[in-house]
Amino acid sequence: MLSSSSSKPPTQQLLQSADLISQGAEAKVYKAYLRQVSTSCLGPDHGAVLEALEPVLLKYRFHKHYRHPSLDASLTRQRIAGEARALMRCMRSGVAVPGIRMVDVNEGVLGIEWIDGKSVRQLLPGGAELEDISELEEADEMDEIHENGAADPIADYGVSRDALMVMIGVEIAKMHLADIIHGDLTTSNMMLRKQTNDLVLIDFGLAYHSTLVEDKAVDLYVLERAFASTHPDSEPLFAGVLSAYEKRMRKHWLPIKKRLDDVRLRGRKRSMVG
Amino acid sequence: MPGRRRESPLKNPSRAYIALGLEGSANKLGAGVIKHAVDGSTEVLSNVRHTYITPPGEGFLPRDTAQHHREWALTVIKDAVAKAKITMHDLDCICYTKGPGMGAPLQSVALVARTLSLLYEKPLVGVNHCVGHIEMGRQVTGAQNPVVLYVSGGNTQVIAYSRQCYRIFGETLDIAVGNCLDRFARVINLSNDPSPGYNIEQEAKKGKRLVPLPYTTKGMDVSLSGILTSIEAYTSDRRYRAQGEPDEESEDIIRPADLCFSLQETVFSMLVEITERAMAHIGSREVLIVGGVGCNERLQEMMGIMAQERGGLVFATDERFCIDNGIMIAQAGLLSYRMGYQTPLAKSTCTQRFRTDEVHVAWRP
Repeated sequence: MLSSSSSKPPTQQLLQSADLISQGAEAKVYKAYLRQVSTSCLGPDHGAVLEALEPVLLKYRFHKHYRHPSLDASLTRQRIAGEARALMRCMRSGVAVPGIRMVDVNEGVLGIEWIDGKSVRQLLPGGAELEDISELEEADEMDEIHENGAADPIADYGVSRDALMVMIGVEIAKMHLADIIHGDLTTSNMMLRKQTNDLVLIDFGLAYHSTLVEDKAVDLYVLERAFASTHPDSEPLFAGVLSAYEKRMRKHWLPIKKRLDDVRLRGRKRSMVG
Repeated sequence: MPGRRRESPLKNPSRAYIALGLEGSANKLGAGVIKHAVDGSTEVLSNVRHTYITPPGEGFLPRDTAQHHREWALTVIKDAVAKAKITMHDLDCICYTKGPGMGAPLQSVALVARTLSLLYEKPLVGVNHCVGHIEMGRQVTGAQNPVVLYVSGGNTQVIAYSRQCYRIFGETLDIAVGNCLDRFARVINLSNDPSPGYNIEQEAKKGKRLVPLPYTTKGMDVSLSGILTSIEAYTSDRRYRAQGEPDEESEDIIRPADLCFSLQETVFSMLVEITERAMAHIGSREVLIVGGVGCNERLQEMMGIMAQERGGLVFATDERFCIDNGIMIAQAGLLSYRMGYQTPLAKSTCTQRFRTDEVHVAWRP
């Protein structure tokens, strides 16, 4: 048993040792532990003792058997690399995102930092109960991570609701200033980290690079719709997000604001001609 | 959603209802008669269709298509009524396609419907073409509450039912998948008989080589126009052989069959992917494929594999119900007629733009 598993590639071994947290349409999400050797004690004799286990989140894009194998392989490679690239870009620009721990494009595995905390969705009223069909928020792989919430979960964090909205606005602005479009901004794709209480944007599976005002405005609009559909009476909350975003964007805000107004009028879907 | 099962608003009829459906939103002219019996069962009494087929390399133009419909309308309707063994007086209502579709063909069929309604004093029911497809697909397959992939020459949508409305979760951002396939069939001069899509499917079975094409899914939406441009570009590639036979010696050639194969594999993968995303989002395990492209067996096969991996089921129909037909208009029309819906003569217009989610689905819980 042991010998057969050790002959497998290391990524497969890691997946085998991991706990499945949830499965979405695209990927399975696991929690696993990576050995972390602290730099101060690299002595060969105490290596084993001083290894700390660091939790990581593994996002495994499994094979889609309906797809032609070579198409499937190249798509998986592109998407894993794309997500890692977006995360790197964000990190370089100081956006709070999970750190990258490992990338294996051939196996389709992306390992990122485990964020200990709650999603913003669970911290806001209305987010705890699952809507049956809410149009804009994707069935998210991260949803099920922390399910049991207290009466007012946000109180545990010592962060006021308004302060949380400011943090959201600032992080999105930082991301947009780096020309990264998240592609799926919802309250379940943001987490508040325990202890440090900072806001982390997660799930860059649909992220891409764009300098267009249009794309940034649509990104904001998607979040607006997600707020409206998940959290009842959240208009003032979203207004808080926008005003923090505005402050951070400075001169870039005006064109985005104009376009956002357009996008709102337009709605998400245009009429399709038969 | 457990514990939410509400009673169907549609009660079994006190007597049998019969409806005539007229469809002509694109190049197919269809007439069908459907019967809803007292025990709640549904029976297709007749389903007649005549297709306007253009020479290879040509698409159908609105004016010529409308002319075809005008020429054939009476023959097709008479045939449908005769096959159903009824007379026009037995009908409860006349259902016609209100939209979406090509303007001129829609108008000519709506005119026929109006005339018949006045002649025989039968109420009119305007029907959304897409809802017709969905209702007929549900009726034929018995799928209860599926995610619907509606793929045809004019539409590409992922739809799910929620609160008396067919909500569009994802759709094409530019051209429809059938349009993409048909136009490529024209480029490589495939026959339009019985349909360009069918001939692409047959050709693709001979293809082996997968050429790289763009793969553009955006959330639950897809974009197809770039793929059409790319695949067309391959026909002027140096390696392209229009008459290419499978040749063992020269490896590096691209045959039309390879292009058909690559096009299908890429486009259908995208469609299955967005359908799967919608299923995961809603938590549904059933998929129903409707629309003309829905009779493509490769698409059905890929959808089947996906559904199986999710522990779900795929429902699809054959060409009688997948391809545009009159019976689906009769089915959807009769359902809304039984809920008390009628289209007064003054409002019996048709429209090229009529979204699936604009229809109030009164007959479902």
